[in-house]
Amino acid sequence: MKKLKKVFNIRVLRGIISIVIFVGLWQLVVFVKVPYLKNLPYPKEVALDGISAAGTKIYWLNWEISLIRIFIGFIAAQLIGIPLGLAMGVSRKFKDFTFPVFEILRPIPPIAWIPIAILFWPTRELSIYFLVFIGAFSIIVINVLQGVSNISVSLKWAASSLGARPKDIFWRIMIPGSLPSIVTGMTVGMGVTWNVLIAAEMIAGQNGLGRMTWEAYTNYNIPLIVVGMVSIGVAGYLCSSLIRWLGERAMPWKKRF
Amino acid sequence: MAGNNGSGALSSGNFGEVYVEGVTKIYEKEDECQTVLQDCTFHVQRGKLTVLMGPSGCGKTVLINLIAGYEKPTSGHIYIDDISVVGPGRDRLVVFQETALFPWMTAYCNVVFGCQVRKVTKCEIKERAELVLKKVGLYEFRDKYPSQLSGGMQRRAELARAIINDPKILILDEPFRGLDAMTRQLMQEFYVGLFEEVGRTNLFVTHEIDEAIFLADRLIIMTFQPGRIKAEIEVDLPRPREFRMLASPRFMEIREQAIELLYEEAAKAFAAGNKTAYDLVGAVVARKGICKKQA
Repeated sequence: MKKLKKVFNIRVLRGIISIVIFVGLWQLVVFVKVPYLKNLPYPKEVALDGISAAGTKIYWLNWEISLIRIFIGFIAAQLIGIPLGLAMGVSRKFKDFTFPVFEILRPIPPIAWIPIAILFWPTRELSIYFLVFIGAFSIIVINVLQGVSNISVSLKWAASSLGARPKDIFWRIMIPGSLPSIVTGMTVGMGVTWNVLIAAEMIAGQNGLGRMTWEAYTNYNIPLIVVGMVSIGVAGYLCSSLIRWLGERAMPWKKRF
Repeated sequence: MAGNNGSGALSSGNFGEVYVEGVTKIYEKEDECQTVLQDCTFHVQRGKLTVLMGPSGCGKTVLINLIAGYEKPTSGHIYIDDISVVGPGRDRLVVFQETALFPWMTAYCNVVFGCQVRKVTKCEIKERAELVLKKVGLYEFRDKYPSQLSGGMQRRAELARAIINDPKILILDEPFRGLDAMTRQLMQEFYVGLFEEVGRTNLFVTHEIDEAIFLADRLIIMTFQPGRIKAEIEVDLPRPREFRMLASPRFMEIREQAIELLYEEAAKAFAAGNKTAYDLVGAVVARKGICKKQA
């Protein structure tokens, strides 16, 4: 236990050192006025702006709005995408009917959906939910589909020999067997989702972390731009950590010892 | 008497026999037909340990899949006692080549899976699982996931998952493949002991001569592509089997006979570029070399 704590401390220390070096280099870049980067604020300016922003209600409201958008769009994508992927993986016929259309739509980048989403949905908010949904949807479907088809046929055979009915095979073999791929799809999808959200907010939103960053740009408030960027990074990291934590919880067999 | 009681709890003693009659299996792939099995006929006797042998790629696993009911023969019939095989069934359980334990279930959940889907009462499940897990020496490891078990433990868990259901026939498809030599020997010893205690009908597939003879009551030797039944050898070594029998003259005699039969097939498989066959041919050549020296 003591040993574990020590290793943990060393690793945390290394992390802190890497951040300190990064900030130090940043300071240096601004100090020596590297060409093209001379408008970059000092780390201290950004920190002060960040602290003052964190004291305002509007900053946290932007956080809340962005997170709500992410979760509504993301959860909708899982609720529709996971059953769809499972159905495609289980039924050859269903896959033959749905997969071609899916494959035509899939290569369209989510951001390319912005114009039609704005025109199509009655409110801006709904169109942003929709764009977030698009960002996570195709990734989860593809991953679930792959997860189902990767389940070894001998597992299904073994289960049916032991007396399992199709219902048992679906719930006790197909679902847990595709769970690792579902978690992978969610992790990747969460990353894409933040990309899409920020772009959508900059173009179509009235608020949110993306809009906050964009408005800082239109007001030429460079420290606040950086504050916005860092906030988005932290928010994305927290969301990915949440997915990872849920994944570990859902798959205890992946842990060794 | 105590031994009898033990086996009574493990099994009801209702065992079956398998009749394979004129079974042919042809795979069609883009206008190309490959005959994997051709007119195979043999009999797996009740309460005996029958070993199916042949070089890798001779269709042993396909034959197992047909008997288990996972695939259907192109022609011919397979009967369990008097009943024709139409699909998978709990009367014949398979221990697979690569482990087929469910990775997301603990050893205990794996073992009781069959009982659970058949809605056996919880009380009975617990009692039987305890007995079987203790039998295979995994009781202390019942809450571990398969990835946390060693190769030998995984094999024992898989055996337990089958025998808890008391099948009429137990089918094992190269179950000890991939284990290190020491574990393999221990598993063979454990497995043969289990067989001798219960006396269930067993069909065991392997390409290892020594393993085959050590375990078998009867050897069935298959040809290489297409798979046909080449010969059957009665193995009349006494039971219980012990490893020192591997050095007995009778064992050597049977081994010689089996090698003679297998050599031609292994050479064919070798020509087709098969690694296992290479090992077998190597073993035969070494053996023949020794014979010459003695002469």
